[in-house]
Amino acid sequence: MTNREKSHTKNPSKSDSKSRRKRRLIHELMRLFTGFCVLLSCCLLLGIVSFIVIRGLGALSVDFLTGVMAEVGASGGILYQLLGTLLLLLTAAVVVIPLALGCALVQSVFLTREAHRRNITLVLYLLNGVPSIVFGIVGMIVFVQWFGWGKSWLAGGILLGLMILPTVCVTLIERIQAVPKKYIEAARGLGLSRAQTIRSVILPQSIGGLFTGLLLGLARAAGETAPIMFTATIFSGATLPSGVKESPVLSLPYHIFILAQDSYDPATKAKLWGSALVLIFLVFLLSLLALPARLRIHEEANHL
Amino acid sequence: MKTRYSPRSYIELWSWLFAALTLFVLLAGAVLLLKDSVLVWKHEGTEILTGKEWFYRSETFGAAAMIYGTLIVAVLALLIAAPLGIGAAICTVEYLPARWRMVIKTMIEMLAGIPSVVYGLLGILILRNWIYQLFEDFEILSGDTLLTAGILLGVMILPTVMTLADDALSGVARAQRIAARGLGLNATDTIFSVSLPQALPGLIAALLLALGRAMGETIAVFLVIGRQDNQWPGELFSLRPLVESGQTLSSKLGGAEINIAYGQPLHWSAMVGLSFLLLLLVVGLTLLGLWIREHSKHTSYDK
Repeated sequence: MTNREKSHTKNPSKSDSKSRRKRRLIHELMRLFTGFCVLLSCCLLLGIVSFIVIRGLGALSVDFLTGVMAEVGASGGILYQLLGTLLLLLTAAVVVIPLALGCALVQSVFLTREAHRRNITLVLYLLNGVPSIVFGIVGMIVFVQWFGWGKSWLAGGILLGLMILPTVCVTLIERIQAVPKKYIEAARGLGLSRAQTIRSVILPQSIGGLFTGLLLGLARAAGETAPIMFTATIFSGATLPSGVKESPVLSLPYHIFILAQDSYDPATKAKLWGSALVLIFLVFLLSLLALPARLRIHEEANHL
Repeated sequence: MKTRYSPRSYIELWSWLFAALTLFVLLAGAVLLLKDSVLVWKHEGTEILTGKEWFYRSETFGAAAMIYGTLIVAVLALLIAAPLGIGAAICTVEYLPARWRMVIKTMIEMLAGIPSVVYGLLGILILRNWIYQLFEDFEILSGDTLLTAGILLGVMILPTVMTLADDALSGVARAQRIAARGLGLNATDTIFSVSLPQALPGLIAALLLALGRAMGETIAVFLVIGRQDNQWPGELFSLRPLVESGQTLSSKLGGAEINIAYGQPLHWSAMVGLSFLLLLLVVGLTLLGLWIREHSKHTSYDK
């Protein structure tokens, strides 16, 4: 018998209550600490958002949204910045939809070997990790240097589309894999070919995942500056593009990025907070639209 | 299961085509980065990693100071985000009821949605001044410091850490928790003896992925770091460099120098070389994180 066990048997109640008190203390401390972490994180979000809302609300008006920028951002509105960002998002969506559908179907339906599927997932995860500035540099090599496009909205849209591909694709793959096996078996049992099964069972069941992923991806793309700053967007002097070559657009993130660097003029600052508010409103709108579908998935996952 | 289907179905053809296109585009991107930076690899050799000086006029391209900046800022960010994010994840998974978990998870993901340029704006207009006032006694030159960038990045990667840690912790089987509670352990004992040890690989992976994200972040860091070249610290382990300006790989790439370099083969290839280094760093960390996570999945089922 070791010493510890001896003392334990000699005076069980005393050491027991001591260790119980210690455990209780650790328990309470741990709850306090982790609770503090949650509270702090949530306060950070609320603090940041309410800060921007309070500062930006003053600048917000119909004229701000529909006016053209003047005096290097000190007056006027952000009409073309907003339209430019929307154009970039639309292009990104058009680029990413076929790519994401193709990759997701290949990964989850056409590839039969598990190792191959895992490789596609790995590529998607790696792509997701690629820094956005690297997209900008590659874009500059390809579109500016190679294609000779100069700054072009199409280059920005393509880069943003590629950047959000993993988000869209992974969401879609998850939904395709969540289609109940018996649906697919029933379809095959009825004599449908694989292509028919995809068209009439798998895609209708999972197409929502494409839109959820698209919304999430676009929410991310809307705020990105680095991929488009050298390839697609300028600070002033552009309206809507009429061609592809040398046809840059204005965009909200780049607008904020430039003004943030040298704005000590209070009028500019007010407009700057207004632009930031519009941008996060756009981003939150996109991700809130995607929220109901995601919550439903989570609930289904919890019930299984 | 043997299945017959028409191999000529348009859907299949179309899917393979676009999947192949994606892979081709990605590969081409990586190859282009390597091809365009060949000049600087030949010019500098390993000096680009160890050289402390970057003067493009005299064609000296050493990235050591930038790599140092990148690492310091990312590690600072992790020091802030790791305890906070993992603590919050423990609270939502282990202590709070499931209903609350979704609310908080959603809120944290909103935090992730705030664009980096908005974080940069907050940094430049608020955090910078706070840092300056706080460290005024140390005679710092401005509020644009590595510390400022680190704190800002810490807030930015907090959602990544929290979401991935949440995934790792909630991946621990419920039956194991119930068994632990049945043996008389309280919620906290269960965390330390069941949840954390089992989720450890997932948590490490979460930190590595977040570190990768922090290293690649450009815009917010660019706005608050001061972008001072050649800030190699006199003493490697002193805290002084933290309150001085610096440069990271990404802030260098985001700057106006890219426009100066454009059209000058060697200088341009040096900039492309930097982005290749950044890509290698981030992809390496991501791969390591994913590998640890995958690896742990297989072992945890064996037990």
